[in-house]
Amino acid sequence: MRRSERGKGRRKLFHTYYDYSLLFLVLFLVGFGLIMIYSTSSFNAERNFGDAAYYLKKQGIFGLLGIGVMLFVSMFDYRLFLKPLPIIRIRLVTLFYLICMGLQVYVLIFGRVVKGSKRWIDLGPFGFQPSELSKVALIVFVSYIIQLAPRKLDKFSGFMRVAVFAAPLLLLVVIPNFSTGLIMGVIFVGICFVASRKKLYFIVAGLLGVAAGAFFIFGVDYRGERIEIWRDIETHPKGYQILQGLYAIASGGVFGKGLGQSMQKLGFIPESHNDMIFSVICEELGLFGAVSVILLYILVIWRLFIIAINAPDLFGGLIATGILTHISIQVLINIAVVTNTIPSTGIPLPFISYGGSSLVFLLFEMGIALSISNQIKYEKA
Amino acid sequence: MARNKTYNKRNVLIVFLCVVIAASLLAGRLTYLMIFRSKDYAARAEDLHERERPIKAARGLIYDRNGQIIATNKPVSTISVIHAQVTEPEKVIEVLSSKLGLSTDYVRKRVEKNSSLERIKSNVEKEIADEIRNMKLDGVMVDEDYKRYYPYGDLASKVIGFTGADNQGIVGLEVEYEKYLKGIDGTILTLTTAYGVEIKNAAEERIEPKPGNNLKISLDVNMQKYAEQAAKKVLEAKEANNVKIILMSPQNGEIFAMVNVPEFDLNEPFNLIESMTRDIETSVLSDKEKQDLLNQMWRNASLSDTYEPGSSFKIVTAAAAIEEGVVDLDDQFFCPGYKIVEDRRIRCHKVGGHGSQTFYDGILNSCNPVFMEVGARLGIDNLYKYFRQLGLFNKTGVDLPGEASSIMHKKENVEAVELATISFGQSFQITPLQLLVAASAVVNGGKIVTPHLGMEVTNSEGNTIKKLEYPEKTNVISKETSETMKMLLEAVVSDGTGKRAYLPGFRVGGKTATSEKLPRSENKYISSFIGFAPADNPQLIGLVLIDEPVGIYYGGTIAAPVIGEVFDNVLPYMGVEASYTEEEKEEYDLGTIVVPNLLNKDKNEVKKLLNDLGYMGEIYYLGEGEIVVEQFPLMGEKIDKTSDLILYLQ
Repeated sequence: MRRSERGKGRRKLFHTYYDYSLLFLVLFLVGFGLIMIYSTSSFNAERNFGDAAYYLKKQGIFGLLGIGVMLFVSMFDYRLFLKPLPIIRIRLVTLFYLICMGLQVYVLIFGRVVKGSKRWIDLGPFGFQPSELSKVALIVFVSYIIQLAPRKLDKFSGFMRVAVFAAPLLLLVVIPNFSTGLIMGVIFVGICFVASRKKLYFIVAGLLGVAAGAFFIFGVDYRGERIEIWRDIETHPKGYQILQGLYAIASGGVFGKGLGQSMQKLGFIPESHNDMIFSVICEELGLFGAVSVILLYILVIWRLFIIAINAPDLFGGLIATGILTHISIQVLINIAVVTNTIPSTGIPLPFISYGGSSLVFLLFEMGIALSISNQIKYEKA
Repeated sequence: MARNKTYNKRNVLIVFLCVVIAASLLAGRLTYLMIFRSKDYAARAEDLHERERPIKAARGLIYDRNGQIIATNKPVSTISVIHAQVTEPEKVIEVLSSKLGLSTDYVRKRVEKNSSLERIKSNVEKEIADEIRNMKLDGVMVDEDYKRYYPYGDLASKVIGFTGADNQGIVGLEVEYEKYLKGIDGTILTLTTAYGVEIKNAAEERIEPKPGNNLKISLDVNMQKYAEQAAKKVLEAKEANNVKIILMSPQNGEIFAMVNVPEFDLNEPFNLIESMTRDIETSVLSDKEKQDLLNQMWRNASLSDTYEPGSSFKIVTAAAAIEEGVVDLDDQFFCPGYKIVEDRRIRCHKVGGHGSQTFYDGILNSCNPVFMEVGARLGIDNLYKYFRQLGLFNKTGVDLPGEASSIMHKKENVEAVELATISFGQSFQITPLQLLVAASAVVNGGKIVTPHLGMEVTNSEGNTIKKLEYPEKTNVISKETSETMKMLLEAVVSDGTGKRAYLPGFRVGGKTATSEKLPRSENKYISSFIGFAPADNPQLIGLVLIDEPVGIYYGGTIAAPVIGEVFDNVLPYMGVEASYTEEEKEEYDLGTIVVPNLLNKDKNEVKKLLNDLGYMGEIYYLGEGEIVVEQFPLMGEKIDKTSDLILYLQ
């Protein structure tokens, strides 16, 4: 009360806000994700590990851990990131950024290779992908850099200045993991877009982005091949997984075959609990279920939008924007890939796809979003 | 700290709206896929999920003319393993190898092979399969199947034929009537995972198999057995290569029996019979050699092989000559034992010649010079006209696979010498069945019948689906000629070369033949006899061929009695009643005797033995020496007391 009086003076009463809608939407999505993971993975789990709930248990542990982290983080003020640490005298956000860079370097050298990519760091029985954490670091760090001097972004040189700060981590991620790098690039551009008053240079930057993207796609053989697969999905021998996903989606019809009744998950779609999980959702729950899931995501994004525009300061607003962009772009790309709308790339569906580190860091991110919401003050009507 | 300005908020809104628009587009894409492409993709997905498992259809049965089952099905099982479902591989390997008599290595290889379904053994006996099923081993499948089973074993083996691993006909009637006998396999449509494992409790779609239709054939199991017995007896006695007997109705071409001894076991068609392996080491046979031997064993020589018919062909020449009116029965001929044709001297079988004789006598004596003369009178044009009419240029059209064509001189190449030899049945080749058809036409009033076995097709409920009809051609020779020929051929049996086929009470007609096999220098023969009865209204015609008999090889001596013996059994069986003439009664009231064993006895002993039995016929001794080494008729045969005995001495 005293604090508010000291602030603007004119406004009398402010209440602390907490976005319970977002919290429950996220909890619901995590719960739904566990159900779908059990549905999609039980066959393969039984076959490979003799335990139908093998994947469910693992994901469940990470879900609980992630929810704990989310609630814990949401209790702190996100502006803690800006506080300089004792002794080493650098801000927490800078340290976070540096740690992530360290991890990315570490993974490049010592990482565990899974399916041809060096992306994993072993931690006892579990492994985690540091790139998931790097996304969070990028969001927070870029927001921090921008809010130091927001007006500079009005010029292209200002944008480039931010880009120079973000580039090291981006490059470290993009080397082993193109798709995550792409996501981070979009997040970066999204934050800058929101922070900037001028729009013209975004067109220039957009063109540059397209050129860079094209270089990455056509410069590397296997990505060029993906374009061919995308165009000839029904005949290309390597289009098998996506085609099987399409079969699953299409056989769902309007109301689906019913939960647990998918045929395509019985080995036809390899690892259907991972990136392809949305196709099984379509098969089991139909168009109705699929659109409901999309609506749930829209609701989450809507809540993030509300947080972003009501954030007490630009730092919070930009972080919320980054999170919003992150969730949106993953959902959009995942569904677009599964429906063969764009060439395939491995992006998990947030909260639902199997993947421990992805889920934990996503929930960590949502914790930050909730923390921002917790700092929103509003007048009592 | 920087504030969250209005333009920042507006920008967030733009981002948010972009996301909503993109999400809507994706929802649209989903709608397209899930509603408009649903049918197409779902059908293709279903194709992937559904696995068809065939249910074998039972093959149709084959019945003889009296309804005896000749070919049926025996339930057997196919044992296979599904790799993914096997939980105790060691136990499975041990059980299957011991129960099925397979090596453990063989079974192990299949059990450990990562395939959706691996067949271990098919045609497993039902009892063994049931034992395996009752052990309830995970991943071991026991599927019901059928195996063809022939209750009579080797009866008419070359006629009936057998089936292969997929129950398809391979030789004989089984292949000829495949389209009727073969059923339509049913299917079980099941849902499977990507690894081919059936999903339990998933709705199954089942299409029931449709059993094949049954076939009724004109063969008579008992007549076949009579004929086979007689054939086997003479085969052994004469150490012949093989003996063929065909019994047919001359009126409609129904084949009652078709014997080709040695026969093979239809239930084990891939085992070479003993007579084929006697002189060879089977273990050194290459696959191809073995296959060649098998093909030879399965071959139905009665219609697949040709031979020089020899004297029995004189039936055709005589019928043509009488029909054309170039000869009368009492025309006079002279046989000096040979006839000079152009620069060649063609011998008669009787070295000294038959001397002066009528045409009638010429037929009874089977005199070659008489027929050379008659042939010359006919000329090749006329002769070939009757060949054509009697079906000798065509296949008979019998409903069995593998029928051979005759081998004839080209008409323009036939000079006097060829004409002379053709006239008494040499220098060309026909199948035994062709001769039988031509002879049938001569004695049935001039009707060419299609020899056949198949009579009707019935479905599994026993209703007739199709009566099998066969073409006939009438008036190929006149009735009068036919009557004359019957009279002549009856005389051949009662008074001529064929008298060893004589059956008191039954009017048997026939003609003997002794064909030299090519090359003639090897002195190998086919003795044959074609006979029919009753002579006034033939109901049965039969042909016997004895291939390469050892010792006596005259058709009249060794082949005629075979037909006599068969007819003696078959005619009463067919319901043809014996009617004895007064003459016969008088003659045969004297009774019959059973021929004793005369081998290794000298002339005196033979005489004493036969006297004791009251034998009154004539004994012909052939060869030089004192000891009997061969006798005809054979021991145990019933003969009348006045009939002749032929004994070979050494």
